[in-house]
Amino acid sequence: MSIHFILVLNRQGKTRLAKWFNNNYTLQDKQRFVSEIHRLISSRDSRHQSNFVEYQSNKLVYRRYAGLYFISSIDLIDSELSYLESLHFLVEILDVYFNNVCELDMVFNFYKLYNIVDEIYLGGEIQEISKQKILDRLAYLDKLD
Amino acid sequence: MASLRSFIKAVRKAKTIADERAVVRKESAAIRTSFRDVTLDQTTRRINISKLVYLYIMGEKTHFGQVECLKLLASPRFVDKRLGYLAAMLLLDENQEVLTLLTNSLDNDMQHPNAYIVGLALCCLGNIASPELARDLYQNVEKIITGSNPYLRKKATVVAAKLVEKEPDLAEFFLPKIPQLIADKSPAPLLGTLRLINSLYLYSEESRPVLVKNIPKIVAHLKRVTTSGYQPDYDVMGTPDPFLQVTLLSTLRTLATDDQCPPQYLEEINDILTQVASNLDSGKNAAHAILYECVKTIFAIQSDQSLKILGVNILGKFLSTKDNNTRYVALDSLLSVMNIEPLAVQRHRSTIVSCLSDGDISIRRRALELSFAILNEQNIRVLVREILTFLENCTDNELKPYITSQLTIASNKYAPNDKWHFDTLIRMLKLSGDYVTSDIISSILALILQCNDGELKVHITQKLLSSCLEDSTQYGLSLITVWTVGEYADLILGTNIEVNGKEKVVTDKVILNLIDQLINNSTYSEQETIQLITYILTTIIKLSVKFTDAQSLEHLRVILNSRTYDNNLEIQVRAVEYQEIFAQDNSLKKGLLARMPPPPIKQRESLSLQRTNSKAKKSGASNSASGNSGAATDDLLLDLMDDHDTGRSTSNGNPSDLLSDIFGGSNNTAVPSNGNGANSAILDLFNATSPALDQQAAPPHQDALQAFSNSNVKISFIPKSFPQNGQAVIEALIESNSSSVLNQFQLLIAVPKTQKLSISSTSGGDVLSPGSSIKQVLKLVGNQGAKIKLRVKAKYSNNGEIVEDQFDFGGFPLTL
Repeated sequence: MSIHFILVLNRQGKTRLAKWFNNNYTLQDKQRFVSEIHRLISSRDSRHQSNFVEYQSNKLVYRRYAGLYFISSIDLIDSELSYLESLHFLVEILDVYFNNVCELDMVFNFYKLYNIVDEIYLGGEIQEISKQKILDRLAYLDKLD
Repeated sequence: MASLRSFIKAVRKAKTIADERAVVRKESAAIRTSFRDVTLDQTTRRINISKLVYLYIMGEKTHFGQVECLKLLASPRFVDKRLGYLAAMLLLDENQEVLTLLTNSLDNDMQHPNAYIVGLALCCLGNIASPELARDLYQNVEKIITGSNPYLRKKATVVAAKLVEKEPDLAEFFLPKIPQLIADKSPAPLLGTLRLINSLYLYSEESRPVLVKNIPKIVAHLKRVTTSGYQPDYDVMGTPDPFLQVTLLSTLRTLATDDQCPPQYLEEINDILTQVASNLDSGKNAAHAILYECVKTIFAIQSDQSLKILGVNILGKFLSTKDNNTRYVALDSLLSVMNIEPLAVQRHRSTIVSCLSDGDISIRRRALELSFAILNEQNIRVLVREILTFLENCTDNELKPYITSQLTIASNKYAPNDKWHFDTLIRMLKLSGDYVTSDIISSILALILQCNDGELKVHITQKLLSSCLEDSTQYGLSLITVWTVGEYADLILGTNIEVNGKEKVVTDKVILNLIDQLINNSTYSEQETIQLITYILTTIIKLSVKFTDAQSLEHLRVILNSRTYDNNLEIQVRAVEYQEIFAQDNSLKKGLLARMPPPPIKQRESLSLQRTNSKAKKSGASNSASGNSGAATDDLLLDLMDDHDTGRSTSNGNPSDLLSDIFGGSNNTAVPSNGNGANSAILDLFNATSPALDQQAAPPHQDALQAFSNSNVKISFIPKSFPQNGQAVIEALIESNSSSVLNQFQLLIAVPKTQKLSISSTSGGDVLSPGSSIKQVLKLVGNQGAKIKLRVKAKYSNNGEIVEDQFDFGGFPLTL
């Protein structure tokens, strides 16, 4: 029903964001997933292959933006197309928020990245679908305190 | 203490992994030391925690900072709380005792006057909800869910959905809120409400009847969204609010598939689906996402015929797009639609076939699977031609065994005539004879043996011989050719065959050449070579009565002699025995080496490439009583060879296996009872002569419903008593399919929540030895008339390895 995890990996396989919504994974699982998923996805041909690939008993929906892979893991019965659209939604928000986002923004502002993800997703569910509302909210929250 | 920025820079500056490790270790140690300082101020703590989160992203150990996270989020300042909660969500998980410490902070913050702090707490609860947290804090969520702030309401509904998922008993508190929540038109809170509905439906069966009543409201929302026109905030490339539409549709699907869904609701849904599907301009991913959801709904619920056709046509349109993603989902869905609307899917055959040559392997795989699914008597010639072409160009060796076995099954089923059937099989063997499983080889051999048409037999033998002469590296082809030539060489001696475009007369020499070539072939693995040599030896002894030329006979004898010193015991024993026979009188040999009687063919279920489908198919297969499932991997061919041996000697290495194979061990019990026509006669024959042995094999139960079978166990259910008053007694019968002893056998069974199940202890302990069985009696109590569905897990240890088999079974003819 919901997203199991969202990963952002660069082409070398370094993690830029790891948000695990499914709490059943151990630290070892997570480390294994990251390296296996990187190997799986970076070997796929982006022009001739779809953005979906089955991994273990779930499906990975991913998309490459410049040097970064945005990946989310969903159930086999869930709609790949809409979760792919949702990844694009996340990237669009990042792009506006960081004003032309690049990998370095995400390295140094990783905590902001998590804050953004938390405004879009909650427990693996999409909670807000208006870009403007999210951006306004983020701007306001950053000013608090 | 360095700042976060300089720490990140230091990590990035590290040139080698060892450098990076050193930086990380140093910083990690500094953070630990700093945490020990009781007078630590919140600012330093905040820097520490943010570094810790950075370490977390790098995959480092961060457990030592968990309590510090809690200290940080207990601070009254918003910045502290924000980072504290963020870190808590990442570093803590629901398995940890620290969570109990978190409860108090969450409780306080959810009652905080500042809405944003409440938001932080909700977000944290939603992410790391455990059953305990859910029970402790649901009241706070309940209050917020009906509050006035839409920002919090939206979060609270999603959190409520999570809490119900963790603790289904909470459904009773959240279900009454639905009427109020569903009336809200703003997209984000509505999205949350739909999540809550889904969660309630899935986890709380009692809530279902109430939830189904919300269908008209959801339909109304969907109607409003599709006709609302342009809303800049929720528009994605010209598609109005795709996320909400998708969720509305999937919620409708969940509710409308309920048994209690009244027909007038279904009508409404049919109307709205038509409207949604026809209003969308396709071409964009967002629009496709909605259409895809529509199609899934169309085929999940009871929809009109016209709507189903519309659904298949949408998928057909998807197939012809250039976008790989859209094609992928289309093929995926067509596979599942196949069972519902086979004819409509057939119409897109050419598009499906063209996807066989797609650039994307996963699309090719799905197209292949779909091609097999739409195969029937009418299109088999065309489709098989395409599939063989695919096989010829296929570089994915993993896929080949699937193709060969599917192709064998399909051509068994739909072949227009026998000649076509054999030509196809031989062509397949030539293309990928290295990738046929042993049971396919044995069933092809059985087919050849069963062929009664003398002319066709000549054709088959000729064709095999010429194919194998052209390419002797295809293992499966070589095995079958060697065997067939041994059996039927006399039919083709002196006839003409075509090898590499040249006419050739079949003589002793041609056959001997092939045998020499195969013996000297080094491309086979050791195991394959052993198997092939044993076949060749059998063929040689058979040829000894078919050849008349003294030189050829001498050649045969030389090969046989050379193997009497073979390193492999099986080969050596065989060679020595055959040598004995070789020297016997010709008339005796002729009797001994007469033609083999045709054996029965083992039925196989079609395979599936995908896990999801295979599950569905498996349960389907177990419902049909045909029984003998695909798990039977025993080698029929070996049986054939062994039959042969028993005529004279007991040279075979494992006589017990041999006996059970011939006399129909537990694997075969289904075959004779199904009455495979004349073929079972041979089994019956053997059965009749050995009543003592036959008793060993469990007699097939007339009323036993086979639920599951693999290479280790076979599980069937025998309905004992169905008085139709809400009770039932069923006997579970577990039989061994394995040749080894299975220890610690345990049967775990789950039933729907509304039913109660009690299981007796097993008869015969927990050890399952070959040929034995275990019985357990199940007593079920539930609502009268309810269907019986069992989820069964069989746990046992096979050679010290714990094995778990899980399956669902609902194939009882009677209800409670």
